[in-house]
Amino acid sequence: MAEWNAYYQNEDEDEEQEEGEQSGGDYKVTGRDSLVFLVDASKEMFIKGEDGEPSNFDMTMQVVRSVYTSKIISSHRDLVALVFYGTEQSKNPRNSFKYVYVYHDLDEPGAKRVQEVDALRGEKGARLAAETMGSGETSLGDALWCCANLYSDIKLRLSHKRLMIFTCRDEPHRGDSAKDRQARTKASDLKETGVIIDLMHLMKPGGFDVAPFFRDIVSQPEDESELGLHLEPCDKLEDLQKRVRAKEQKKRAMARLNLCLGEGINVAVGIYATAVTARKPAAIRLYRETNEPVRSKTRTFHMQTGSLLLPSEIKKAQTYGKKQIVMERDEVDSIKKFQDPGLYLIGFKPMEKLKTHHHIRPAVFLYPEEGEVKGSACLFSALLMKCSERNVFALCRCVSRRNYPPRFVALVPQREEVDEGKVQFTPPGFNVIYLPYADDLRTLDPPQCPSASQIQVDKMKEIVSKLRFKYRSEAFENPVIQQHYRNLEALALDMMAPEDTEDLIMPKVDQINHRLGPLAEEFKDLVYPAGYNPESKSVAKRKTAIVGGVAEKKPKAEVPEDELRAHVQNGTLGKLTVPVLKEACKQFGVRTTGTKKQELIDALTTRLAA
Amino acid sequence: CCWDPLVLCMDVGFSMSNSAPGEEPPFELAKKVIQKFVQRQVFAENKDELALVLFGTDSTKNPLDRDGQYQNITVHRHLMIPDFELLEEIENQVHPESQQADWMDALVVCMDLLQTETKGKKFDRLNVALLTDLSTQANQDHLDVIIENLKQAGITLQFFLPFPAEDDEEGGGDSDRRGPGHPGTGKGLSREQKESLDLVKHVMLSLDEEDGLDQVYTFRDAIEQLCMFKRIERRPMAWPCQLTIGSCLSIRIVGYKAVTEERLKKMWVTVDAQSNQKEDVKRETVYCLDDDNETEVKKDDTIQGFRYGSDIVPFSKVDQDQMKYKHDGKCFAVLGFTKQNLVFSWGQHAGVALSALIRALDELQMVAIVRYAYDRRSNPQVGAAFPCVKQDYECLMYVQLPFMEDLRQFTFPSLENNKKLSPSDTQLSAVDSLIDSMMLVQKDDDDADQKDIFKVHHIPNPAFQRHFQCLHHRAVNPGTPLPPMEPWLKAALERPDVISERCQAPLEEIKRKFPLIEVEKKKKLKTSAQIFGKDAEEPDAKKAKGDEEEDYNLADIAEGSVTSVRIRGQLTHRIEQLLSNKNTHYYMKSITCIQAFREQSVKLGNADLYNSYLQSLKRSIPNRRLEVFWDLLVQGMLSRITAGFLSNRPFLERRLHFHIIAAVPSAEDTGDVDDLVCVCDFLAFKYLTDVP
Repeated sequence: MAEWNAYYQNEDEDEEQEEGEQSGGDYKVTGRDSLVFLVDASKEMFIKGEDGEPSNFDMTMQVVRSVYTSKIISSHRDLVALVFYGTEQSKNPRNSFKYVYVYHDLDEPGAKRVQEVDALRGEKGARLAAETMGSGETSLGDALWCCANLYSDIKLRLSHKRLMIFTCRDEPHRGDSAKDRQARTKASDLKETGVIIDLMHLMKPGGFDVAPFFRDIVSQPEDESELGLHLEPCDKLEDLQKRVRAKEQKKRAMARLNLCLGEGINVAVGIYATAVTARKPAAIRLYRETNEPVRSKTRTFHMQTGSLLLPSEIKKAQTYGKKQIVMERDEVDSIKKFQDPGLYLIGFKPMEKLKTHHHIRPAVFLYPEEGEVKGSACLFSALLMKCSERNVFALCRCVSRRNYPPRFVALVPQREEVDEGKVQFTPPGFNVIYLPYADDLRTLDPPQCPSASQIQVDKMKEIVSKLRFKYRSEAFENPVIQQHYRNLEALALDMMAPEDTEDLIMPKVDQINHRLGPLAEEFKDLVYPAGYNPESKSVAKRKTAIVGGVAEKKPKAEVPEDELRAHVQNGTLGKLTVPVLKEACKQFGVRTTGTKKQELIDALTTRLAA
Repeated sequence: CCWDPLVLCMDVGFSMSNSAPGEEPPFELAKKVIQKFVQRQVFAENKDELALVLFGTDSTKNPLDRDGQYQNITVHRHLMIPDFELLEEIENQVHPESQQADWMDALVVCMDLLQTETKGKKFDRLNVALLTDLSTQANQDHLDVIIENLKQAGITLQFFLPFPAEDDEEGGGDSDRRGPGHPGTGKGLSREQKESLDLVKHVMLSLDEEDGLDQVYTFRDAIEQLCMFKRIERRPMAWPCQLTIGSCLSIRIVGYKAVTEERLKKMWVTVDAQSNQKEDVKRETVYCLDDDNETEVKKDDTIQGFRYGSDIVPFSKVDQDQMKYKHDGKCFAVLGFTKQNLVFSWGQHAGVALSALIRALDELQMVAIVRYAYDRRSNPQVGAAFPCVKQDYECLMYVQLPFMEDLRQFTFPSLENNKKLSPSDTQLSAVDSLIDSMMLVQKDDDDADQKDIFKVHHIPNPAFQRHFQCLHHRAVNPGTPLPPMEPWLKAALERPDVISERCQAPLEEIKRKFPLIEVEKKKKLKTSAQIFGKDAEEPDAKKAKGDEEEDYNLADIAEGSVTSVRIRGQLTHRIEQLLSNKNTHYYMKSITCIQAFREQSVKLGNADLYNSYLQSLKRSIPNRRLEVFWDLLVQGMLSRITAGFLSNRPFLERRLHFHIIAAVPSAEDTGDVDDLVCVCDFLAFKYLTDVP
């Protein structure tokens, strides 16, 4: 097991490296993203749906909360505001606007804000809203103006500005044309300052008609082809969440590259990360006395002279076969350079040549950049259509960044798909699958096993069918990350205990057992001989592992000194296991920073060879 | 526990130096084979021990040297892990010598060496590689005993010869490929060589009746195959677990990591450029407070915290461990986000059970969504287990799936529904013929098999190959520049020649049918107006705000780089530093600093420091010939002022703006000041009138 552990740790380091690779300089950060929720607080919003369905207001607050928490996790530097209109009470910076209630002005969301949004949810929330804000007259123009002030009060540079209106009233001013006009003017002022206005319209009896009023309020789609305005109002939380999520994050290309088909045929494309592994953020160091963050400075200096070392006074080295090989720093970089960044088409292959498991990194997404090379979208679109029609993928050599060695990728065509609500659920473009090199594949020696009989297979089919469910990728929260943030939330708000997190990737054992009923036993009777217990051996093992996990330690593994010296002499230290090497380091008083096998070997070698 | 000890046994006798004019002597070729092989072993950091035995040497040095037997055979190096020392020895100490020795005797010396030096050690297989031209008559007296011994000891043999073992009976292609590179192919072999060759064949076929002759190579083929550095090989490790379905049904399985992005095991170590010693370099991290003096604090005086949105929450390691997500440990399969496992069945009964699951999934075309945790310390994942049914085995393939937190849901404009972008029929057919011409998988009409001419998973990682090539070069030729990339490696990454030829015409057609025009990029921002956005030039708020993303903005730079520079004393110091470089780039940086200084002053409610600094800076402008900088500064501040008015900033800040205006050199620049006032008035007017 020791080997497994060492191996596992390497794995972790690998992942860190990988992350560095992906996040490092992916896109230029040009400022903060900002998002204003402008929510209708009129009486209509609080009407509960049939069968106790949550009110539109309640639904909106749930969405706002989920955006708050997701911003905290994935982009805490984004600014978010929550403003109500159609209220009885007014609360805004200079109190110059009636019927507008700025609940949260533009700022980074924190624990307190999440709590405050929570307070507006459900039955209690409706009561609280009635008490603090009430429902009054509506002037969307004033509300928009107030939002404009929120934006302009911000001293930070904003890169992406979005405003989402949540309402179930298609004629908020009930035909008051002066107010309508003012709202239109204010909306266009906002749009001119770069704010994108979206409408998240909610279900109301008789349907929501976008045409008479809101069509002029919302921003025009980026180009005419975009499915800009969703004509169908939302009536489900899930839909609303999806619509908000799709707009809430600004899409940024990780890289803009040329897809080169041949000499002089360059299609400009952007690469987008559609799935980025969310990780627990790194800890921040705080000064014990004041809890203020401290900054860390790392310096490289000469051991003997104590003077700081300039980059030119440093070289890089690796040791192989007991020889230290030294290179200049720029040589180390230049070794990695093969070609300039870009995608280069090698050829095409039928889809069945792409193995499910032949990929080594999360896939990314490719979409044309008409703004870089005119005509890109047309050629890209033609390639996409034809690849998809003929069921082939394009094989390309890919250099994603400067001084990056090439990788081969499969461009897998993906046609656009929209749901009944005309919401795009798969965008058009190529999925980029990173393919493994020979080094990345491990040779396996599969054990020979008898195949199951058709009766056995059929029984299992029954089991499989009993446990069918519809997989949605957004259904599973990461319990590790969720727990971490719940803990922080509890500490930030001085709560007694963190809120419970439901582990969504835990099998619901009772439900499964119930659904299977006698099928499990029937299957076991078919495949296992009487008295066979698949769990017997490993259960015993696990028990001892738990008992011995912390308390018991393995007897010290010591190697006599002369044997060690012989290993150093022959360069055979690698044959010893990590615990033995660690023990040897202790024995000789060798201090090591790392725990990797190679580091231990290096440290011992330097010590004992001297 | 598992390695393969190997003895390299090389003929250095005088016949090895014979060659036809213009051809490399067999000795040189054999030496190259050995060098290449040892290099690979050194860089692969292979634990396989290696010995070197030379025969045909002038002297004799081997344990069997007795009574005039086993003469002219030298054990040059005993079983050891190969290193650069060995490479240097091969380079400098292995020369052609003037004796001849019996290769069969040399083989016996190798066998003896293997048996004595591996006594009591565990190993997989023992190997002997013999490199010779077979010019000496071999003593066949104990042939059967030797063969029997080889078999019993489990020693495998490889022969490397200057000529192929078999004449190309099939003729044609093969001989073409080998070409004239093999001197004496078929013809020109001496009687001794012919006899020895028969003996080699006899030995090899006795060891392995079917494929024995596959282990007889020519020097040239070997060199070609050895040019590649060894690919990283890691033994897949078994991960036994149970696949559970509810609590009533479990199947014992064992997982293996099948595909993973390998990385080089070694990292670069920083060394001192003079001494090349890593011990001379020390890296140190210090912590300091975010105050004017950057007061250093001890690491022990710091605690751990985390960000929760705008809050920073102190959260000690102990608390964190106590409160963190915990789970029951190991449950069904894998490591990492993109990585996968093959899940093979474990034990026969489990085998049937798993087989039933795999086949059921396969027949239903379904996958299992599973929770996988490697062990108690690792984070659990959610993933999909795909059925995989192959001719000789069945398995489940695990692929990790993203969590909700990992997903970015983007929508992209439609391509097909856009009339302006949609390709015409002739354009589409041009793409069609391009695809036809570039198919990498060829279907043979008479053969159901498809031939894939570009298998990525057969290409060694070029980054590793290049890395080792350069390291090797530097080790062997210190002081010389790094070599160019190996031609074979370059070629391996290119479009295959057949494809390049075939797609020529279709590509031309694509070029004609699809006009591609590079959109001219905006020139690098130069003038102050461009640097600070249009509002410095045009008093039009609308235009200025419209396209902010493109603009180069002060606040941005200030945020990125200046917050790290401490305020006041340090800021002014930095400004002066930057100003010593007379260059727009540095001017802009110092303006950013001034901007940050100003904002900081606003925050602290103390404008005096800032104003007095600006005054003194202004006075020094003519002496320091910084007029250009001052121009930029004034215009830059202008744009900030307009922004300030737009946003109804507090009075204090507005006062500050006027201080800046006051700080503009007056005599020749009055025009600017007037313009400035106009700008402010205009904007203030527009917005003020609108207030309800």
